[in-house]
Amino acid sequence: MIIDLHNHSTKSDDGRAKVSSYCRWIHKREIPIHGLVLTEHRQFDDESDYRELEDEHDLLILKGSEVETDYGHVLVFGVNEDLLNAFDFGAIDLKLADVVQAADRCGGIAVPCHPGRPTVGMVAHYEERGPIEGVRVIEVYNGGSRAGEDEASLALARELGYYGVGGSDAHLVSQIGLCATKFERDIRSMEELVMALKEGSFEAVSWR
Amino acid sequence: MQRRFQDIELGDELPEYAPDISLSAVRSFAEAVGVGRVGRFTDHEQARREGLPGAIVPGIMSQGILAAMIHKWAPGCQIRKLDTVFRAPIVVDSQARCRGVITETEPDASSVDIDLTIVNEAGETRVLGTATVRI
Repeated sequence: MIIDLHNHSTKSDDGRAKVSSYCRWIHKREIPIHGLVLTEHRQFDDESDYRELEDEHDLLILKGSEVETDYGHVLVFGVNEDLLNAFDFGAIDLKLADVVQAADRCGGIAVPCHPGRPTVGMVAHYEERGPIEGVRVIEVYNGGSRAGEDEASLALARELGYYGVGGSDAHLVSQIGLCATKFERDIRSMEELVMALKEGSFEAVSWR
Repeated sequence: MQRRFQDIELGDELPEYAPDISLSAVRSFAEAVGVGRVGRFTDHEQARREGLPGAIVPGIMSQGILAAMIHKWAPGCQIRKLDTVFRAPIVVDSQARCRGVITETEPDASSVDIDLTIVNEAGETRVLGTATVRI
């Protein structure tokens, strides 16, 4: 099962894609993904209900978040009430170590994204300050990466034994499905996604 | 050639457009909109002193360029909304390319939504956005 793990809708301040448009685009372009995760910037979208869209388009639509830490941006999967109370999702100065620990403690998982990107990726911060304990999975394919960024992410994953996922980081409809993650088993819920991420039973894929 | 709504499909791409962002073109634009004395738009050296890689294309010029691409594709259309996100500067005298693709068609309103991007020579997206256009 292939899921695009990193996408933004109009709920994000710089997102310009309606979720319904993502769904139509995936079918029109025959993009080989079976689901997507909406990871809105600095928030968890507790309001939107995409179940009708899921049924209409036979797609899994899950919700996570992308938060900002001292080591760059981080995807958070498995957001629940405990996790929402563990730290301020809207803050821009979170500690990566705190986010990783809180996610793990509350039944979720934190996944640093676009690690190879200057400033907002963790590679440069690792070089300066060393690795953070508890990181197990990082994004190694990102749809918005510039030349060399994914290569730096892959090198970091190899060096430290991290599992690697892929996500499009789509902000426009036409950007979805550039990168994704292929899971060995079917995923039907966020809980199953978190479990699969913790097991490492997946591989990152890129169609860029 | 007038474009007809019924001939447009989801996924159709607008012809790629290479805008003139030479220093002389940008200076003309900057003067026309009242920012002709702003060095970061009209003077490479001044822009570098401000920490930029060179003079940069004003945001409203990028929007104008995208609007021009849409009108070249569909003369006479009505742009109802043009919404842009400026990700990174576009350097004056570089070779930028504008792209557009239809992502929604609304028969009742005879309108389409278009994803828009301006990329640099390396293919990196500098400006992204969307437009809603009545055909």
